Amino acid sequence: MSEEPVDVVVIGAGAAGAAFAWSLAETRMRIVCLEQGDWLDPSTYPTTGLDWEARRFGDFGLSPNGRGRPEDYPVNDTGSPIQISNFNAVGGSTILYAAHFPRFHPSDFRVHSLDGVADDWPLDYAELAPWYDVNAEMMGVAGLAGDPAGPPKEPTLPPVPLGRMGDVLARGFDSLGWHWWPSDSAIATVEYDGRAPCINLGPCISACAQGAKASTDVTYWPKAVRAGVELRTRCRVREITVGDDGLADGVIYYDADGVERHQRAEIVVLACNGVGTPRLLLNSCSARFPDGLANHSGLVGKNLMFHPYGMVTGIFDEPLESYKGPNGCCFISQEFYETDRERGFVRGYSFEIVRGMGPGSTALLGLANGSVPWGAGHHAGFAELWDRTAGMVAICEDLPEEVNTVTLDPELSDSDGIPAPKITYRLSENSQRMLEHSVARGQEVLEAAGAKQTLVTAPLGIAGWHLMGTARMGTDPSRSVTDPWGRCHDVRNLFVIDGSVFVTAAAVNPTNTIQALALRTADYIKRNLATLLD
Amino acid sequence: MSDDSSRPFASDQAQELAAVLDTLIPPSEDGRMPGAGALGLVRRLEEICEAGADLRPILEGGLTALSALARERGAGSFAGLCEDERPALLEAVGEHAPAFVPTLLFHTYAGYYQHPKVLEGLGLPARAPFPQGYPLEAGDLGPLERVQARGRLWRETGESDA
Ligand SMILES: Cc1cc2nc3c(=O)[nH]c(=O)nc-3n(C[C@H](O)[C@H](O)[C@H](O)COP(=O)(O)OP(=O)(O)OC[C@H]3O[C@@H](n4cnc5c(N)ncnc54)[C@H](O)[C@@H]3O)c2cc1C
Repeated sequence: MSEEPVDVVVIGAGAAGAAFAWSLAETRMRIVCLEQGDWLDPSTYPTTGLDWEARRFGDFGLSPNGRGRPEDYPVNDTGSPIQISNFNAVGGSTILYAAHFPRFHPSDFRVHSLDGVADDWPLDYAELAPWYDVNAEMMGVAGLAGDPAGPPKEPTLPPVPLGRMGDVLARGFDSLGWHWWPSDSAIATVEYDGRAPCINLGPCISACAQGAKASTDVTYWPKAVRAGVELRTRCRVREITVGDDGLADGVIYYDADGVERHQRAEIVVLACNGVGTPRLLLNSCSARFPDGLANHSGLVGKNLMFHPYGMVTGIFDEPLESYKGPNGCCFISQEFYETDRERGFVRGYSFEIVRGMGPGSTALLGLANGSVPWGAGHHAGFAELWDRTAGMVAICEDLPEEVNTVTLDPELSDSDGIPAPKITYRLSENSQRMLEHSVARGQEVLEAAGAKQTLVTAPLGIAGWHLMGTARMGTDPSRSVTDPWGRCHDVRNLFVIDGSVFVTAAAVNPTNTIQALALRTADYIKRNLATLLD
Repeated sequence: MSDDSSRPFASDQAQELAAVLDTLIPPSEDGRMPGAGALGLVRRLEEICEAGADLRPILEGGLTALSALARERGAGSFAGLCEDERPALLEAVGEHAPAFVPTLLFHTYAGYYQHPKVLEGLGLPARAPFPQGYPLEAGDLGPLERVQARGRLWRETGESDA
């Protein structure tokens, strides 16, 4: 069935699709966003019930493979020590994200020039900064000005409280003379733009029932829809179609009733994240593009980057009240961010402080490490652990390598029969050394803060939530998939606006940068509308 | 009498399961924390079975093996053993039904620590986090002066970055 043609079709309503659609809406073009998931109802989110921790293993799990939601597509990630975490809904993975919202550093755009590895970005920090500022307004970023670890910026909202746990951990960093600073957090710490303030529910990564966390279903989308963007949910795109002129001319998708439809469009924009986007390009084969759309470079799906995470948890003697407050937003340390070759690796990492666990997760941690046994010793073991855990994750910069890939699985497919992505990934030696360094430093600082014991997991298997590099941008069409604006070299009305375009990964969570880039691409299209397709 | 014929576990199996749960997490000596068998967690396990998870055959296999072991020790059932004897049987059942105890432990720990009576025992409010939430101290930002005193920490790139 063929739809009335539109000006722009955006695929994916997550962090990037939302920001882009909102920005472009001012052109009054006819914009349709196709999203395979649906609007969610916050009154059904886990923290509204006593079973909030157990639902992490059910319908609010991190892996699409175990959640049992019909809108999910499976991912074969058995060939990777790090598994994919995502969410498919209006808001995309921001429904689950921790909202830790730092910016890149200037050096992140110049990795090749400074350290002789990977490639430089075709833009620099100063160029992107204005769009970081727009995004801060739209998402609402809590933080504290004056952080000497990055260029000056003005947070929109007061910082997330440190809480007792934050005070204890800061003591450790302070005693070692290491950098720490309240996190930039996409969380309304006071009422902001119609959003209620954070009430410290705890597990932001099980979705925010209060609506204080800036997931894009409560930030960009309501505004974009009011401005005229049509958001069609439960619509799963199978492939992008190409006309005789070699331009993208629309998409084929299955609607909520499973009916196949063809939506024609002048411009097609991909915002399906660093796994969903290469999957769709690789599924869009034609005589002109036998190896996948916009893939003359052969780089679609290659250079997959995660941030390998090292997790270090300290067990303390004192109660920390660490189950209260946004679990991924407290403070950050960038003591080891910039390259120091004496450490045995290039580039670096951030420490993101992670608050403690609820009683259920505490018990399960104790079960896993043997400290909370069943039987007679159970309650004593639990008492030793309960409300006495706090720690951090090290977010390590991954470097792009062509052997780390998203390809199509020859057997696995989603409920519409569309081939599913397959992940092939291994840790580089540089990442491995960095991980080792980070967990050793993590243990050191937790001990300095008073931890009597530390537990280490590295790499953290569930942490495949930052998905980057699989349709990288650049100026050379033989070494990149898109140009510096996210426009595909091979198909000039096809744009990629998610983390797939990242040239390198930096050592911070990517969403602020993904959205700033999406806003920048939207402005580029607006500025060049008259001549865009010439 | 309620009709439980449609439930995953017959009443004798449910009784056995409750006794197992009480062995995994017994009541605390000071009486503050209840035993896991007394909290209706069997019903929760049944719901998980009904939702189609692979749990049911694991539990049934384990219970059958456990009853056989209890009979070998001269008791009619696991629940018929005295409390001191039960842990040894749970240790031994792994040989016959290796997934039984590990699987049950996961569900028991997860279910137990979300029960209002348990939360009360821990001194926590017996409610979901939302909508009341929790107050949180701002914390001490004073030490940040020392961080700032170190001056700029990010790396020059020789461009118009700042
Ligand atoms: C548990 C967790 C914690 C995280 N914490 C942080 C954090 O603290 N800070 C941070 O910066 N980032 C964090 N992230 C990552 C962050 O969520 C992502 O970087 C961000 O959401 C990516 O935005 P996106 O728009 O590229 O993709 P997504 O937000 O993933 O959105 C992609 C959308 O595309 C849709 N889609 C895909 N394929 C199709 C198709 N074929 N047809 C139709 N629709 C399709 C999907 O349904 C989805 O809604 C976290 C992620 C997770 C899962």
